Amino acid sequence: MAETERDEKVSAGYRALGSEEPPRALDDAILAASRRSPARWRVPLSIAAVLVLAVGVTLRMLPPQPDAESIALAPQVIETPRPASAPPAQLAQPAKPKEQAKLAARAAPVPEPAAAPAVAGAAAENRMRSEVARSAAADSARRDEARAGARLESRATAEASAPRAAAAPAASAAQGMLAKKSELSPEAWLARIAELRKQGRAKEADESLAEFRKRYPDYKIPETLR
Amino acid sequence: MLAYRQGDAGAFEGLYARHKGPLFRFVLRSVKERALAEELYQEIWMRVIEARGRYSVQAKFTTWLYTIAHHRITDHWRKRGLQLVDVSDADAVGHRSFEPEARAEGRQEIARFSAALAGLPELQRETFLLHEEAGMTLAEIAAATGATEEAAKSRLRYALARLREAMEDG
Repeated sequence: MAETERDEKVSAGYRALGSEEPPRALDDAILAASRRSPARWRVPLSIAAVLVLAVGVTLRMLPPQPDAESIALAPQVIETPRPASAPPAQLAQPAKPKEQAKLAARAAPVPEPAAAPAVAGAAAENRMRSEVARSAAADSARRDEARAGARLESRATAEASAPRAAAAPAASAAQGMLAKKSELSPEAWLARIAELRKQGRAKEADESLAEFRKRYPDYKIPETLR
Repeated sequence: MLAYRQGDAGAFEGLYARHKGPLFRFVLRSVKERALAEELYQEIWMRVIEARGRYSVQAKFTTWLYTIAHHRITDHWRKRGLQLVDVSDADAVGHRSFEPEARAEGRQEIARFSAALAGLPELQRETFLLHEEAGMTLAEIAAATGATEEAAKSRLRYALARLREAMEDG
């Protein structure tokens, strides 16, 4: 049958019943409810949106979480004072412990006021800085000492070789004194000879000069001593 | 309705203006008491407003609206202890009383039609009203009332026959 079976006479009879409408007050009440209702879900929705946004921004602003290894290492780095003579390999990487100290300061679950972790972090960083500076200074001093030691050693070696060279021809009574003089530098030795001549001890001066010439055949002897 | 679901209050006003008359008359002629009709009418629209978040385009808005109306009116009958049954024999129709207002006005033809409509079994009357007042197809009526299309077709056929008979009796 369907829609084609619509009876026009029945439809006309039905339309003749009139077209009652709801009272105006009812319209107003329903429309007011429809306008009022969206506000009820818009406010919670807005609050939820703001909360989601705030949480999202906060999570983005947080530093990346340090791994467990960093957290485990950090307290040792802070608490254990490194000896001044730390190996150079550790000194070559001053940034790493500093980072670890920072991470430890951030990750420390301290239930104190919000400023506390930052203060602890700054203190740890300062400690690390001073330790590194101290180590660097110590290392520099150690290197200077090593260089100075090397210089002293080479001088001692050079000076020690002189008595050995002088020991071979030493047979006279003056050998003891010469050997003593041979410990002097060439300049001092010549100054000693000059002093002997000035004192009128010409023989001793000549013997000493002869010995000097044997020891330093290429050394240019001043005219006054010849 | 989708626009209203997204917060456009003006969209609801358009829907309301288009459907308020037919829905009001559907309710009024279903329950036959004006005060009760107004109460049910308001409740139906409130349910529409509250359920807008769950609205999806699975059917015409008209079908959705009259589905809500059907459920609300069915609840009303059940609260009154009335059982909605499919009555398809003419004897059951003949025992219904006429509306006194229509008779008092002296408009015989209208009164007869009104009486015949009021005397229809609820499901037949509902099907006729959905078809005549809301302009719904049999498929839409079946969807709104939870019946099969065949049942809706049968109800409409009996309703039309009875109303036609009432008009011819005059």
